[in-house]
Amino acid sequence: MTNRNNPFLLANGKKPTCMEMLQLILDGEANHEQHEYFRSHMDQCMPCFKTYSLDMTIKELLKEKCCKDTVPAELIEQIKLQISQNTPS
Amino acid sequence: MEETPKQQYSNREKNDIFNLEFLPHINSMYNFAFRLTLDRDDAKDLVQDTYLKAYRFIESFQKGTNAKAWLFRILKNSFINDYRKKTKEPSKVDYQEVEAYYNSEEVDRQITPDLRVESLKDMIGDEISNALNSLDVDFRTVIILCDLEGFKYEEMAKILDIPIGTVRSRLHRARNLLKEKLSAYAKLMGYKNTEL
Repeated sequence: MTNRNNPFLLANGKKPTCMEMLQLILDGEANHEQHEYFRSHMDQCMPCFKTYSLDMTIKELLKEKCCKDTVPAELIEQIKLQISQNTPS
Repeated sequence: MEETPKQQYSNREKNDIFNLEFLPHINSMYNFAFRLTLDRDDAKDLVQDTYLKAYRFIESFQKGTNAKAWLFRILKNSFINDYRKKTKEPSKVDYQEVEAYYNSEEVDRQITPDLRVESLKDMIGDEISNALNSLDVDFRTVIILCDLEGFKYEEMAKILDIPIGTVRSRLHRARNLLKEKLSAYAKLMGYKNTEL
């Protein structure tokens, strides 16, 4: 194991907790280096691995199940009509 | 609206911006409106109001900048001003409590150790969607913005007019509340399965 610097280190030099690292990953705020670091961290930290798997599954399911609605077709026409009626030509 | 220098657009330019930069986001906007109002008619009205406002204020929008975040911000403000009052939904969130929670040692505590990936995969119906809809609107909103729409902390802070630290703590709390909900569903499903 190489002794890499922790790319999650806070500005004040404080070491972040597991939960703080995990939150950046989940929230889509982690950079490539942080992702790599966290991946190898999970190999040695079972609680992180478990929570990560659970939280990522929820995130994926949300995207899969809660984005299916498409806007009713007539709404776009209604909006365009209203705009053209209110725009002085 | 954000304080940006006013742009000057011809009618043709306005229509181009509207058609090419605003309309492509209408499905996301409708989904956001529906998840906020939980009513399809209200969602339609809210999306329509938002697009009409966006057109009216189009000169506050700088071509080629983040149209999606700008539109989401207008929609969220319209929702607060026009719909939240109508439905008289009280805001149940005590943010000081949230901040206190976030800064405490409790943060690293595992709230739902019994929730498993396998039971989530068994949720093939509306459980996930219902769990999301059952969250208080402020918590629901950050999950939608982050997990469904992929907005960054900085964009969410602008859309919601709150500091980035509050975005983080609200997301953290929202994820835990969602897990509690899903855990309750999973238990219910477990009971049902053993009864069979």
